[in-house]
Amino acid sequence: MAWITKNSATMEIERRDEPYLTDAMKAKLTADVLPRFPRKQAATLPALHEVQHAYDYIPHQALEEIAAFLELEPSVVMDTATFYEEFFLRPRGKYLIWVCQSLSCEIMGQPTLLEQISAKLDIEPGETTDDGKFTLMTAECLGSCGTAPVALVNEDLHENLTYDNFERVLDSLK
Amino acid sequence: MALDAPILTKRIPTPPFGDIADRKVVSYDQFVATGGYAGLDKAVSMTPAEVIDLVKASELRGRGGAGFPAGLKWSFLPPEDGGQRFLTVNADESEPGTFKDRLMLEFDPHLLLEGIAICMHACRLDTAYIYIRGEYHLQRKRVQAAIKEAYDNKIFGPGSKLGQINGRDPQCFDHRGAGAYICGEETGLIESLEGKRGWPRIKPPFPAVAGAFGRPTIINNVETLAMVGPIMVEGVDWFKSMGVARPEGAPPTVPASYGPKLFGISGLVNRPGVYEDQLGITLKELIEVHGQGMRNGKKFKGAIPGGISMGVLGPDQYEAGLDFDIGKKYACLGLGTAGAIVFDEDTDMVSVARNIARFFAHESCGQCTPCREGTGWMYKMLTRIEAGNGRTKDLDLLLEIAGSIGAMPGTTICGLADGANWAVRTIVNKYWDEFESRVKPTLVQVTVGS
Ligand SMILES: Cc1cc2nc3c(=O)[nH]c(=O)nc-3n(C[C@H](O)[C@H](O)[C@H](O)COP(=O)(O)O)c2cc1C
Ligand code: SF4
Ligand code: FES
Repeated sequence: MAWITKNSATMEIERRDEPYLTDAMKAKLTADVLPRFPRKQAATLPALHEVQHAYDYIPHQALEEIAAFLELEPSVVMDTATFYEEFFLRPRGKYLIWVCQSLSCEIMGQPTLLEQISAKLDIEPGETTDDGKFTLMTAECLGSCGTAPVALVNEDLHENLTYDNFERVLDSLK
Repeated sequence: MALDAPILTKRIPTPPFGDIADRKVVSYDQFVATGGYAGLDKAVSMTPAEVIDLVKASELRGRGGAGFPAGLKWSFLPPEDGGQRFLTVNADESEPGTFKDRLMLEFDPHLLLEGIAICMHACRLDTAYIYIRGEYHLQRKRVQAAIKEAYDNKIFGPGSKLGQINGRDPQCFDHRGAGAYICGEETGLIESLEGKRGWPRIKPPFPAVAGAFGRPTIINNVETLAMVGPIMVEGVDWFKSMGVARPEGAPPTVPASYGPKLFGISGLVNRPGVYEDQLGITLKELIEVHGQGMRNGKKFKGAIPGGISMGVLGPDQYEAGLDFDIGKKYACLGLGTAGAIVFDEDTDMVSVARNIARFFAHESCGQCTPCREGTGWMYKMLTRIEAGNGRTKDLDLLLEIAGSIGAMPGTTICGLADGANWAVRTIVNKYWDEFESRVKPTLVQVTVGS
């Protein structure tokens, strides 16, 4: 789980006039997602995924918009959003790298691999490169232990990693 | 003891029956052409109660970790009252060492959908949600495509083969998780489905009585449901001809370990992967036959039998039979997900314990103090021991903390803490000498003279 803390007292929410949760998104959620559940709150995860898919992260203003759309308090949506590792409440890089650090991957060489990736990108896990291209994260078991070590880059899983083959993957990304 | 023919992997080429390179996603038409949905046809020709009785008689046990008899679970539902009733399919697969459901979702999603439809008919459930972990992108897309085909072919939706259930057209949806191991715990999953943080609920009430949206809900693992179609077609005797019977003299209330099972194997073996075999094959067979032996001819040092929550099998437990009784016989928690992780002579067991403790500390949902704090302390202590700064008394403290957390000792809400408890305790106990050699003796203060 994610233990996200924020400085509530001094935090200012950046706002823009144009909504993040667009009418097109609302229409899609209304047609495809809301009818699936007896309660609107159940559309929280789908709505968060939708917003994150569009902007690569979930701005605070979008949390409020989702709350209004689902007839919830913003704090309720915030509560849910901060619980899940996959949701980013701050901007992240164009390519999100999740390196699995659980047991099968560790005994198959992940620690060295992570160090090398970290050195190449010159960032620690949790950080984003200055050019905004890569964010490096560690993940717990990605469910592909038979081809350890593995890493996800956005939605693509890369298996049987060595530093050389993974470096080629990273270099090929524009 | 090998299987005569593949069952769950019938359409997913897997050694020794097929070549992994030939794997392709199985479409609805290919599924039907190879006998698929025959189990559903058979089920809908029977009454719901007859289907439940058949699944009960097969003694099919849950494949998600706890091994609870599926038919029995299905019979716990209250009588229908016209309101909605749900099936939540557990495809959250996040237990380190486990990657078997992924195979079903990726290549033969209709085998799962067939099991879902049979379960909905038997239990009178009108809506199914397949809760798929957020990181399974390809698998999610494959399942979505299969669901669409199933609607087009009247498995679900208006005009479904199932008829109306609770006055509604039967529905099946995928639902995407967002990266939290705890959402695999059944009530954590339900909370997450409802749009909240995945905090497990105190039980009772059990989901069968008050689950999703406060309504009766059945929750089963992907592999459990995928097994139901073949059982409908081939029958109870066929299913029970595989696996291990209950121990001699045990009352019929003690469930046996029948049927085929997907076994995962990862770590230091030559051919890691998911293989199908009978329940009860030995760890030795799993490693030597399916895993093609230890890598680089190294010596076996131990293995996690089924996901890290189960603890460890030591160097002298190489012949352990992998069935649901493994826990009692070999001092581990159980068979779990049957996803083995194999260690060789070079594996540092202190690092293994540290890695596992970090996993639980990271994934603890934080509701119960013993779990939230205990897993964190264990991680810190093991990090210290690994760095050579531990003391002998730390080992005792480690065992004491580990032994005190969990739903079994009664200090926590869910089983995540039991997993941490068993994993750390069994590793420290079974590799005591290794741990002892890594810590400094505890200094005891003595008073000299007077
Ligand atoms: C911490 C925790 C995580 C779990 N994760 C999963 C999981 O990822 N997949 C799964 O099928 N069961 C998981 N389970 C077991 C479920 O709670 C539940 O027993 C299971 O889904 C029931 O299905 P079955 O009877 O078909 O096995 C987990 C349990 C606990 C305590
Ligand atoms: S045992 Fe741990 S994971 Fe389970 S409910 Fe309690 S704090 Fe959460
Ligand atoms: S341990 Fe890395 S994918 Fe499972």
